[in-house]
Amino acid sequence: MSVIGECIVAFVFGSIVGLLVQRSRFCNTAALRDAMLFKTYRNTKPLLIAMMILTFGFTLFLTFGEGKAMHFDVGLNQVAGLFLFGIGMVLAGACTVSTWVKAGEGNVGAMWALLFTFIGMFLFSLLWTENFWPPASISMTGEPNLEALQFGFINARTLQDKFGVPAVIFGMVQVFLLGLIYRAIVKKEQAQQLEHDKAAAAHKVKLAAAA
Amino acid sequence: MTNFFKNTLDPMVALTLIAVLDIFLFLLVGAWTVGGGETMITGLVAQFFIGDELSRIPFWNLVFVPDAGYWKIYISLGMLFGAIVSAVLSKEFYLRFPRRLGEWVMITIGGLLMGFGIRLAFVCNVSTFFGLTPQMNLGGYLAISGILAGAWVGSWIYKKVLEG
Repeated sequence: MSVIGECIVAFVFGSIVGLLVQRSRFCNTAALRDAMLFKTYRNTKPLLIAMMILTFGFTLFLTFGEGKAMHFDVGLNQVAGLFLFGIGMVLAGACTVSTWVKAGEGNVGAMWALLFTFIGMFLFSLLWTENFWPPASISMTGEPNLEALQFGFINARTLQDKFGVPAVIFGMVQVFLLGLIYRAIVKKEQAQQLEHDKAAAAHKVKLAAAA
Repeated sequence: MTNFFKNTLDPMVALTLIAVLDIFLFLLVGAWTVGGGETMITGLVAQFFIGDELSRIPFWNLVFVPDAGYWKIYISLGMLFGAIVSAVLSKEFYLRFPRRLGEWVMITIGGLLMGFGIRLAFVCNVSTFFGLTPQMNLGGYLAISGILAGAWVGSWIYKKVLEG
């Protein structure tokens, strides 16, 4: 696909996502924060459903060598980076998606978060000169590089090539595990509802007795 | 259709649609991602202000060479555009400002940590949940363990600030 074609596809995709996220108030930050802080799962459940659909879709196409998988070596920098990101998104009250969407709603706080995301990236680019870690993609080999705390490149397709089992089979195992998490959340919600109903009923009895 | 801009859309419906579209995007250019586009925007803005001086910083030579034709930029711009259209049609567009100084401080620190974290990890939350993990990339599981721990620490700080 031509460069302009790629950019148009990306823009159309982004626009639809912006519309859907704005209308549904979905927030990735809330999906994690609310589950931990308030034990509510309005955003957690749709995130899990999306991950199940994507796991099946991606691994199915990877089985046949289709699709453009992300290809770079991974290592401890993913843990450290997303740890900082996780703190940041809760403090800012928005993740990468909701900063753009909320900025589009006229939320100046989100625009401010976006501005400082850019500044944070620029600061990192300055610091990178000091130790060149994590390594640039041009120096990645796909093999573990323990000196640089990198474990190489592994995904559903490399598993297929290594074990001779279709990638989609691994995908279905992951879909099943995500489904178990989903089921645990639904059970927890049912228990919460039951407790709520009990408390409401007890309150009614108390009111009736008082009358 | 008028109801679409009046009622809140069920996030389950929204995310199902996004997931299906993301599979098509994966086949055409690559899975949904935001951090890479944001990095490129950072580079382009920095280049606009300091010009060729930017190429003296190795990162912008070796990792991200500023390029306005990088498709990931347009996902971000699209999300902004889609949200503006949606907010205007739903009559939900208006300027909102953080009220307290504490909020400004938290957003500033949060933004810096997000930007720094994305670059350190090579990925953002979107790539983690909607790209790497569904491709069963080892990096996805590493990133999820990081973001869960980070969100937990962030929630703890958030709670302290709310209570304090």
